[in-house]
Amino acid sequence: MNTIALKTLFIKEIRRFSKVWLQTVLSPLVTTSLYILVFGVALGSRLREISGVPYIQFVVPGLVMMTMVRDSFMNTSSSLFQSKINGTIIDILVAPIGAFEMLLAYVGAAMIRAVIVGSLVYLVALSFTWFPLHHIGWTVFFTVFVTATLALLGIIAALWAEKFDHLAIFPNFILLPLAFLGGVFYSIDLLPEPWQTVSRFNPLLYMINGLRYGFLGVSDVPPVTSAGVVLLSFFVLLGAASALLRSGYNLRS
Amino acid sequence: MKPPVLRCRHVTKRYGNFTALQDLSLEVYEGEIFALLGPNGAGKSTLIHCITGLAKQSSGSIEVLGFDTIRDFRTTRRLVGLVPQEINYDPFFTPLESLTIQMGLMGVEPSRERADTLLKTFALDDKRDAYTRTLSGGMKRRLLVAKSLVHEPRLLFLDEPTAGVDVELRRELWQEVEGLRAAGTTIVLTTHYIEEAERLADRIGILHKGELLLVESRSSLMGRHDGRSLEEIYLELIRKADGRPDA
Repeated sequence: MNTIALKTLFIKEIRRFSKVWLQTVLSPLVTTSLYILVFGVALGSRLREISGVPYIQFVVPGLVMMTMVRDSFMNTSSSLFQSKINGTIIDILVAPIGAFEMLLAYVGAAMIRAVIVGSLVYLVALSFTWFPLHHIGWTVFFTVFVTATLALLGIIAALWAEKFDHLAIFPNFILLPLAFLGGVFYSIDLLPEPWQTVSRFNPLLYMINGLRYGFLGVSDVPPVTSAGVVLLSFFVLLGAASALLRSGYNLRS
Repeated sequence: MKPPVLRCRHVTKRYGNFTALQDLSLEVYEGEIFALLGPNGAGKSTLIHCITGLAKQSSGSIEVLGFDTIRDFRTTRRLVGLVPQEINYDPFFTPLESLTIQMGLMGVEPSRERADTLLKTFALDDKRDAYTRTLSGGMKRRLLVAKSLVHEPRLLFLDEPTAGVDVELRRELWQEVEGLRAAGTTIVLTTHYIEEAERLADRIGILHKGELLLVESRSSLMGRHDGRSLEEIYLELIRKADGRPDA
């Protein structure tokens, strides 16, 4: 393994998003803080408890997860796609770097960005409603594997995309609807059938509820089930991203 | 005789039904400047891409200093540098950062001292901390050359390095290329400026529709066509290969 190249690419990716922190860190923090303010503080005071916890606390894990999902995806997808478009991907392709080092560096940096923004959102939420983490182990597990999974999806999207419109499909038409329908703002127990069953086919439901269990100890699905779905998603996307990078799909001719 | 720095054996590259390189065999020797000439679409860049890892040949083998470019890609990429045809730059980074990052990517411990030397060599030291997007076209081109040298490659590919640059910068780049050759770097140059090859190259290869029409030392080639310029010789060969009558 080329450890110098791995370290360099990892640090480069962190420096890249740090240089545009207004867009990559502050912007999602402000947007999610507004969600907390509107849905948690303003409307939450009028809503009764859900799953035995105050509504404002109920929405926080979902909002943290929604932010981490988006940021992790955006970091790998935008970085790799932009380097494809502006031609600087050549700098990596001619270097003695294997697919494994590329994956580790891109995914690692995306996870760092997602965890920074997710932690800041959590800190903002604590200023409105203080609550301790219920289970640190599950919290760390879902944070690590979900951010890694979405970073891998970002790599696949960037390799596949040939124009910015292609890339925009994922956050706008897939991730955001799945996050909203995955129980960020409600428990799926409130849904009538068949929507409750339909919701169980949404992988983001398990990601959101997994983190909600880690934060609050409440969840629509057992944490072990959520962990299984997350791990399955992670390994499927890891296999796909590795295979695409190794083959040079849309990178090497 | 020393083994060649670059050895291509029966290299064929196909894109679907289109054959970009056809059973190409070529050797390039240490310390020489080898000019690869040919019209647009002849396969010059495709060959360079296959050697540097940007593309993979459909069949045949390519070795750099005896190492296979596919099996031993980590070794061969450490030995090879590439100045690509298109100017590219990362808008997020300065020339100094670009150089240190490229060192790391090439597996060399990033060195501020080495970066400073390259910035001075390519007259970019007063722009070291400027965003790369603010550099002039000539400066961006020089930065590309500097980036290709961060790991001190034994074999350097210059893919039309003077395309679209003014006369002054072209002459500067020629001087730099001659300096690199004097320092022992083997150089493969593709160009549409035939006078560039005539001035710089030790040997010349002419590629046409994916096939090598000729590989010969410049002095021998010019000697065989007494009194004619390389451009005239080149045009005659291309016309013959196309089956067109002499102009």
